[in-house]
Amino acid sequence: MFCIIAFVILAILGIFSASNRALAKEALDCVFRRVTLRPCNTGFDEKMKSKILGSVITRSETAARLINKNFELLSWIFFFLMVGSSVWALRGVYLFYVTGSCNGLNQAAFCVFDPKGANNQVSGLAATCKVTPTTEKDLTLDRINLAGFPVLNENASDKIVFIGCYHCDYTRKTYPMVMDLVKKTNASFTFLHYPVKENTDYMTKLGYCAYQQDQNKYWQMNDIFFTGDKMKLDDTAYVQKTLASLGYDSVKINTCIDSPQTEDTVQKLLDEVIKTKFFGTPTVFINGKVLVGPKPYRVYAIMLDGLFYWLK
Amino acid sequence: MQWVQVMDIKRIRQDFPILQENAGHKPITYFDNACQSLRPKAVIDAINQYYLKSSACSGRSMHQLAAEVTRSCDQARSSIAKFLNAARKEEIVFTRNTTEGINLVSNSLDFQKDDVVLISDKEHNSNLIPWQILAKRKGIIVKIVPSQEDNTFDLQAFEKLLDKKVKLVSFGQTSNLDGVSIPAAEIIKKAHQNGSLVLLDAAQTAPHYRINIKALDVDFMAFSGHKMLGPSGTGVLYGKYQLLEQLEPFLVGGDTVLSSTYDSCQFLPPPEKFEAGLQDYAGIMGLGAAVNYLMGTGFEAVEKQEQLLNEYITVEIKDMPKLKLIGPADPKRRGGIVSFYIEGVDSHRIALMLDQMANIMVRSGQHCVHSWFNAHQLKGSVRVSLYFYNTQEEAMLFVNSLKKIGKVL
Repeated sequence: MFCIIAFVILAILGIFSASNRALAKEALDCVFRRVTLRPCNTGFDEKMKSKILGSVITRSETAARLINKNFELLSWIFFFLMVGSSVWALRGVYLFYVTGSCNGLNQAAFCVFDPKGANNQVSGLAATCKVTPTTEKDLTLDRINLAGFPVLNENASDKIVFIGCYHCDYTRKTYPMVMDLVKKTNASFTFLHYPVKENTDYMTKLGYCAYQQDQNKYWQMNDIFFTGDKMKLDDTAYVQKTLASLGYDSVKINTCIDSPQTEDTVQKLLDEVIKTKFFGTPTVFINGKVLVGPKPYRVYAIMLDGLFYWLK
Repeated sequence: MQWVQVMDIKRIRQDFPILQENAGHKPITYFDNACQSLRPKAVIDAINQYYLKSSACSGRSMHQLAAEVTRSCDQARSSIAKFLNAARKEEIVFTRNTTEGINLVSNSLDFQKDDVVLISDKEHNSNLIPWQILAKRKGIIVKIVPSQEDNTFDLQAFEKLLDKKVKLVSFGQTSNLDGVSIPAAEIIKKAHQNGSLVLLDAAQTAPHYRINIKALDVDFMAFSGHKMLGPSGTGVLYGKYQLLEQLEPFLVGGDTVLSSTYDSCQFLPPPEKFEAGLQDYAGIMGLGAAVNYLMGTGFEAVEKQEQLLNEYITVEIKDMPKLKLIGPADPKRRGGIVSFYIEGVDSHRIALMLDQMANIMVRSGQHCVHSWFNAHQLKGSVRVSLYFYNTQEEAMLFVNSLKKIGKVL
């Protein structure tokens, strides 16, 4: 058993060192003999055991004696540990591929492939907006009335519900990706704007009014707002100018924004968003599954089209 | 035991650059001198000198560099002749090693069918295989002189086998297996009385003992440079001049002939007729430097230092459980070699552990004496082979490490 463990370890070390490469070759020969039910008579086991004992004995004779006595047993234990950790590592790789985190969907624990946890960061909702603290498990679209929110490809079978805000960095990172996916898959896309940053409150009303006035231009407006300079969104003149460039009637839009009815409707929409118990943006529901934080493109694609989305 | 300062080891060790180095942050303890010794700076300088200042052919060309190389090689030959106390420097033939020297004799001496060659039961393969091949090729008979129970030479058994058919007696003068030396002078005397020639494999003798070849009256003697501070790939075959003259050359070609026609040639006199092709001039110069260094050190001190170390190690380890010493119990009869095995423990494992634990370098296995190990049904042994630059501290480190291993295995 020892040669199998040694082969794996030495093969990895062999990438960096020629001497370990030679040992890995010896170990491979030994492994080959073992799997063909022949004795490993190359002396490899003996050589490595001696080297290990030689190192251990200088630190502790007792430990060396134990290792010498139970070498085969220890080899088996390490073999199973190696198999276990390999499976665990492969699971981590798989989960990272599928969910963007080695630990599973929306798990923010350390992941070696995403050491900064960038795939799970959110623009947090201010505590005052929440009745009780919520977690990923509480997130839901049940009993949420999505009527009134901007929606694209309404009748498609695949449903994406996106909660985000114009000023939030992670939303800005995610929105173009998801829209790209929507264009490719023609999935239904509902956009729920929630102004996590207070200074963009008025953008909710503006978005509502723009959508009411022209649904097609609304998505163009979103593309511009999400891909342009974030700081300019604070500049009302810039926003108005953008709307005008898209062919919106600015006067009507402003009238709509100032209307008490809009105020009332938008508040109702925001209340619906709150009912999802989301705690930050972006929060994306894809066919009922929730993704919190800016995941890589493949994660959204896998949710829609499965593991081999790139074959489609 | 009482340690006697027989030489200024500290100063001597400064001559060996490798002993100033550390392997893995620990100084090395080199106890594999029977395989090959370490080299002093004088030898390394002599080799460098050739490549840096006189990298040319010897003998063939007339220019200044060639003349310098010819002079240096000639000096080396003279030094070796002096080292052996040979009658003349032309009795010194440069070879690559002991093996080549023995092969030269086995291939050049005029052996006839049923000629007998006597060897001992613990010869290095270099002094066994050439005769086995000759037995197959020419029909000579190889007879084995058994050793005594303690692995020392059995003179009576030798005399019993020594008859008129014995053309050559070929023994290892000092065994690389256990360090035991044979009574060479007595053997040579008896062999000569019988009309037999004597070849001594002195690979393990020349580095450790003063050789007086005139007094010994041996016919041929082969030894290696790399076991006596010289460069690897260098060796010497000594032969009495009149015998060398009679020998047919083994390897022939460039530098062995005075002249040639399309169908014949006229060989040069010894030693040139045996030194075919371009020689290892740098090696020869290095060997000359090694011999000079050894002569300067003094063999009495070399022998004494090795004996002291051997005695210390033997006393300390002989009573370890399951440990068996190969050869006589008395360390004085084993020169600089302590060969042992621990029952049930692979010798390679011990060697590897010593290396890993404390950078102690020993030889393990069958030391090219497979025939002896096979006959005794032993897998191998650990061989500690000492030289004069080894110290008491190194011997103590070895003993302590081996005792630890003994407790663990």
